[in-house]
Amino acid sequence: MWAIETRNLRKVYRPLFGGNPITAVDNLNLQVPAGTVFGFLGPNGAGKTTTIQILIGNVYPTAGEAFVLGHRAGALAAKRKLGFLPEKFQFHDFLTAEEFLRMHGRLAKMDRTTLQRRIDEVLELVGLAERRTSKIREFSKGMQQRVGLAQAILHDPDLVILDEPTSALDPLGRRRVREVVQYLKERGKTVFLNSHLLSEVERSCDQVAIINKGRVIVQGTLDELLVNRSVVRVELRRVEPCVLEAAAKVAQKVHPVDERCFTAEVASEDDIPELARAILDAGGALIGLQAHRETLEDLFIQTVEAEGR
Amino acid sequence: MGVIIALTLKEAMRRRAFLGTLIILVTLYGLSFLPRAFKEAFGGDERQFELGVNIAVLFGIDAIKFFSAVLAILLSAGAITAEIERGYLAAILPRPLYRWELYLGKWLGVMLFSAANATLWTAMLWASVALQGEPRVEMWRALPYVLLYPILYGTLALALSSFLGASIASMFTVALGAFAYFSDHFLRPIAAFFDVRLLQQMIWLSEWALPMATLKRLVQIQVDTILPPGFGERPRFGRPDVLEFLNPPVQPLDLAYVALYILVALTVGLVIFWRRDVQ
Ligand SMILES: Nc1ncnc2c1ncn2[C@@H]1O[C@H](COP(=O)(O)OP(=O)(O)OP(=O)(O)O)[C@@H](O)[C@H]1O
Ligand SMILES: [Mg+2]
Repeated sequence: MWAIETRNLRKVYRPLFGGNPITAVDNLNLQVPAGTVFGFLGPNGAGKTTTIQILIGNVYPTAGEAFVLGHRAGALAAKRKLGFLPEKFQFHDFLTAEEFLRMHGRLAKMDRTTLQRRIDEVLELVGLAERRTSKIREFSKGMQQRVGLAQAILHDPDLVILDEPTSALDPLGRRRVREVVQYLKERGKTVFLNSHLLSEVERSCDQVAIINKGRVIVQGTLDELLVNRSVVRVELRRVEPCVLEAAAKVAQKVHPVDERCFTAEVASEDDIPELARAILDAGGALIGLQAHRETLEDLFIQTVEAEGR
Repeated sequence: MGVIIALTLKEAMRRRAFLGTLIILVTLYGLSFLPRAFKEAFGGDERQFELGVNIAVLFGIDAIKFFSAVLAILLSAGAITAEIERGYLAAILPRPLYRWELYLGKWLGVMLFSAANATLWTAMLWASVALQGEPRVEMWRALPYVLLYPILYGTLALALSSFLGASIASMFTVALGAFAYFSDHFLRPIAAFFDVRLLQQMIWLSEWALPMATLKRLVQIQVDTILPPGFGERPRFGRPDVLEFLNPPVQPLDLAYVALYILVALTVGLVIFWRRDVQ
């Protein structure tokens, strides 16, 4: 069963008074396996927040279908097992952190004793245990985001949707979010998270989807997407055309960088010794060779830029 | 839904609107002691004193009608769209509750709050005249109808708030109220003496658009016995149909129309909120 599934999901915003309609989500097909930490990536305006709002039932799709935990998005049965941290979080700030969580716990129909225990637990998890009786208004932006995270996981949901959970957090706070994600993963929960901090995503996610202009352009596990392509940086005393030619026979792509350096993209790490041999055989004076595993950021930039062309 | 009602009440308590109306009313409250004060200062007979108390009561009821309606408008005009724009609702709605629960919770919260205020103010006014030795039970008989003012206006403002921002929703509600008031107090006398069809249609329309004059009459018949001479009395001259037009009697269906109006406004607002995106 998928934790999240969308079929040809589409959302068009039509301005009330003239203007061009904006297609925020365009035939989006997404499958998120239960129990994974799923990174939902894309450039600004790609339609990530809109998709998430459809999944939680705040926004109605123009066409297509979305299912959350086997129920139609927005259905009460789906919402019961769902936790959500909004991108533009703004909470009832005249409540204290504890009152706020209590209200959410009651809205989530938690019983009194479990609720009290969970409030203690989640405040501890997000690092706000000492500030539980402070009003949310008196919190810094990052502290408010932490309360938001606490609220999202309060009722022990099966699926947690986080829309840019670290946008206001310091490095320590970001690490805490990673720990919370890990904590959820260990308990078999599904985490669906949208973030622009790709190194964070790379560290915590099992799978990612990159979307652009409302469509999925890449989806897969990080292993699938990243391992196959290694980029090798080759340094020579001097880059000769015959060396480049020889390297191009082994590598998939060769980019000259300057007169002492070029990069070569090989299909897998196993090809690297062969690449070195080819360079030497062609008479290249090899000085250095550094393999560099492609990062999520490389993938992101390449795919989004390729799409743009 | 109880959580939403509690939240709405909490929000109302911390809004300055409530304090503002209270301050104005406390100031006006002083006025209700004037009959006694006048009597002590200038003497005067029992009949004049009684008249003074009656005027204070009628004036007080008008003030309660007005301020409880204003309070209800202030609290409901920002309840939906303004909260969506601020981002409050985006975090509440993913919780397992239906949108109608949220909407009705807010409605009930506002209604309870303004009704409680109006009741408190009525109790204060009653205590004031009772202390002066002239209790007026008519006030309590009128109270259920007085409460229809905040209910009517609050429901309308809440319905408008489902698609309009706080200031526009309250402006629109007040404008509709002003139109109804204007039509009842100015157009009606004119229309009674000049037989202009357009005027009569406007009055009829305003009555349908906002049955405020109907409410006024419903309250009036409860306090009829304490009306001082000159207030609401039937003029003795003129054609009966003109007189009736000037001061139409309460019809049995008037209350039903008010109830229907409130129900329709509530439903329309709910359906709009149900269908819209919350973002
Ligand atoms: N309420 C709205 N009315 C009209 N257009 C909207 C609305 N919300 C979003 N859009 C448009 O839909 C598109 C997608 O927006 P969305 O917020 O989903 O992007 P995003 O991927 O979350 O971007 P970001 O990374 O900046 O948060 C944008 O072009 C945006 O202008
Ligand atoms: Mg976004």
